[in-house]
Amino acid sequence: MIPSIPQAAYARRLYATYVGAFFLYLFAPLAVVAVLGFNDSLFPALPWEGFTLDWFLSPGPRRVGLLHDQGLLRGMVTSAQVALWVAGLSVAVGTCNAFLFEQEEFPLKQALYALALTPLVIPGVILGISILLFSSTVAGAIEHWIGVEVEALRPGLPLVVLGQFSFITTLATLIISARLRKFDRSLEEAALNLGASRAVAIWTVTLRFLRPALLGAAAVAFLMSFENFNTTLFLVGSDATLPITMFISVRDGSTPVINAVSLLLMVGSAGIGLIGIFSGFEGKRP
Amino acid sequence: MSVRAQRLLGLAVFLTPALLWLLLLIVLPHVDLLLLSIRPKGGAGAVSPANYTRFFAEPIYWNTFARTAAYSILATFLTLLIAFPVAYYIAKVARGRAKGIMFLLCLLPFWVSELVRVYGWMILLRESGILSGLLVWTGLLPRPVEMLYNDLAILIGLVYTSMLFMVVPLVTVLDSLDDSLIEAAYDLGGTAPSILREIVIPHAMPGIAAGSIVVFMLTLGNYLTPALLGGKESLWFTEQIYNQFIIRFNWEQGSAFGFLLLILSSAIVWVGLRLTGQTLASAVQTR
Amino acid sequence: MTGPIDLEVRDVARSFGGFRAVQGVSFEIPKGSFFSILGPSGCGKTTLLRMIAGFLEPDAGDILIGGRSMLGVPPNRRPVNLIFQHLALFPMMSVAENVAYGLRRRGVGRAEIRERVEGMLTRIGLPGTGEKRIDQLSGGQKQRIAIARCLVLEPTALLLDEPLGALDLKLREQMKVELKLLQEQIGTTFVYITHDQSEALVMSDQVAVMNEGRFEQVDTPQGLYYRPQTAFVAGFVGESNRWQGAVAAAAGEEVRVRTREGMDLVARMADGLTAGHPVEVFVRPEGITLARAEAELGALPNRLAGTVETVLFDGAKSRVMVREARTGGEITAALPQSGRCADLAPGQTVHLGWEAGGGVCFRRAE
Repeated sequence: MIPSIPQAAYARRLYATYVGAFFLYLFAPLAVVAVLGFNDSLFPALPWEGFTLDWFLSPGPRRVGLLHDQGLLRGMVTSAQVALWVAGLSVAVGTCNAFLFEQEEFPLKQALYALALTPLVIPGVILGISILLFSSTVAGAIEHWIGVEVEALRPGLPLVVLGQFSFITTLATLIISARLRKFDRSLEEAALNLGASRAVAIWTVTLRFLRPALLGAAAVAFLMSFENFNTTLFLVGSDATLPITMFISVRDGSTPVINAVSLLLMVGSAGIGLIGIFSGFEGKRP
Repeated sequence: MSVRAQRLLGLAVFLTPALLWLLLLIVLPHVDLLLLSIRPKGGAGAVSPANYTRFFAEPIYWNTFARTAAYSILATFLTLLIAFPVAYYIAKVARGRAKGIMFLLCLLPFWVSELVRVYGWMILLRESGILSGLLVWTGLLPRPVEMLYNDLAILIGLVYTSMLFMVVPLVTVLDSLDDSLIEAAYDLGGTAPSILREIVIPHAMPGIAAGSIVVFMLTLGNYLTPALLGGKESLWFTEQIYNQFIIRFNWEQGSAFGFLLLILSSAIVWVGLRLTGQTLASAVQTR
Repeated sequence: MTGPIDLEVRDVARSFGGFRAVQGVSFEIPKGSFFSILGPSGCGKTTLLRMIAGFLEPDAGDILIGGRSMLGVPPNRRPVNLIFQHLALFPMMSVAENVAYGLRRRGVGRAEIRERVEGMLTRIGLPGTGEKRIDQLSGGQKQRIAIARCLVLEPTALLLDEPLGALDLKLREQMKVELKLLQEQIGTTFVYITHDQSEALVMSDQVAVMNEGRFEQVDTPQGLYYRPQTAFVAGFVGESNRWQGAVAAAAGEEVRVRTREGMDLVARMADGLTAGHPVEVFVRPEGITLARAEAELGALPNRLAGTVETVLFDGAKSRVMVREARTGGEITAALPQSGRCADLAPGQTVHLGWEAGGGVCFRRAE
């Protein structure tokens, strides 16, 4: 049960073996993806034909490496742009929300808080279609009444940003609120007492205290936006994000260039994830 | 400016973004979803339950719906079953550095895109894949076998992809269980199974609820994993929604499907919270 | 205290890595007695208790409960129960379910469980609280429920791991008395560990003073207070003036000591000392007679005069700090309760005296 309670050696070993098997299960898929990115073969499969960097570097035409695959490169840039927007917006709104729910008092606060949490329990697909519907309703109404076609409300990157922002904001709110709850408000009062206005007090004292959480929330938001698929699927226009591009090539049969890009993603997300961890938050949502 | 006016200004500054976000991106879109779902295709203005009656009239629709729900429950249960001993090990058995490292190792695979994780399973399971090759090589199979594109493959992928959302709340809640409670129960004559049943699981209930709710919701609304691991005939309900929206361009029917999925998801979340005596806030915050 | 031995510990030792937490401890506890292990934090008392409870295995030695060796017996099979420092009441269960927990594990019938639980709750003065939740109880009530949860199993001995530590001062004073009375009433052997000497002295029949993994002295509370056997005990139990010096002359049980400051004192010696030995002398403030005039001291062998430095008024525990006139050494004495010295003020001259037996002298390691 716990180390202080005597337990038969075989039971302890059995338990440790189970945990070991679990980690094998956890890492096997990633390991094969990474290793096969270096296989000198046209297919992401065994047998091992020897080591090659072709799937990273080859300019084509038979083998197109990652650095020369325009589709994947474009997807990567698109995803990064979207993720930056989502991270910025959701941390900004999440910070306001944290102050709203931790420091302000107003009628129906609990109800609004419950509503703010719901995006986490709405399936991503549903968020995607409802935002698709509503934006096209609004676009239709604007066109009907004003006669202006609003391009941003049709499937495309602005909608993708909004769709991802709609639920990632809840997470940013939770991360930042958790830190703000630990904030000693008398520090802010001391700043007010020393002549600062509330805005200045928040800017100079509270936000500085929140900085690790802001960084952590931004890292989590960036990661989740970058890899989002279910919500994005319905909102994406002609510029596909990386997961969408990869989905199509994986579904229709891929070359090991997908392994190469996956390996790059693993390294990148591990780096960003560690920023998130060391800013004091663990956990995320796809 | 008076103190009161200043306070109201502060409230307004913080309240406005929250209201815009929730109203424009959550409330109104879902109202719109409901409104569109009760309109026949092309028939503006009229209200009709046709989209819902079609759902019940076509066995393929409600069969897929029921199948998705059943598999989601099964996947949630399996995830809990696999994750619990691991979470317990990390929280209660591992000590010091090993504990932190193991927890980090649990998180690591889930920072990578779900697509990469599913892709890994495709490489493992397909006919020319690692697992099949391994079994042939050891002589357990006479020739390679296709292990992809079936229900078991979908289940494996869903369980794998949900693991983190179970492990994290379980580790958090089990970490908060005081060792002395287990020792006290043991000192009073308890045995491992009875302590698990009467002390550990009741204590872990908030984490179990939080993890299960999130895993169920994610599984139910997953499109990527069933589509890639289940192939063309994955029969997952999100696929029906996708077909209606993107392929047939029947948004009205798609909305009805989406709304049904939303109701199912919300109902199970609500029942889960009720059964374990949790609130949404407490369930979400253990993450 | 005679009669059968409930708990016997023989030469038990336990190390953690290179740290020797408990080294060669032996003792016996007679049936029905209240036995305390008193020591500073880190002295090994918790390790010792957890070995008796079964949560740690000793590296060497044996533990016998009711005459039976407990080596290799897991905690859930030992006839002793442990009261945890933070009580470890199960928050997911009601009061009655907590008390019934051990009985359920033994497969006792439901009707009998209900009867015994209610009987136990009545005995500890909390009848009818069975349906309450743990968080509805006060600190003192939780304490009693934790004890009831163990006593209902009729253990050979009850082990208590500083259970009063988490209570506030007033409740702690009250619980001390309550625990003592409860133990006398039910007659179960209690093994109580604490770093609080007052808890140990007030409640116990026997106290073991533990330091750096060893027992310094096992004695009655009076024995520890009046006849400490080691310098550690003399310094740890009760308050003392403490001086370092060397033996000037030794005769029988008495020694004459010259302190570093130059004071000449007569004290009782605890071990064989001869002239020249470096020593430490302990004198209790409450053993010192305080007088305005030297004549009042009568024939006391130790006499000093000095000026009052400061008066630390604390009711019955009031102290006077005096600076000795000749050597400048500092002495703390108890303020007499008679009120005779109530108006003592800094700067006044006072005379101090005490019996030869009022001071005790130990060899000092150099």
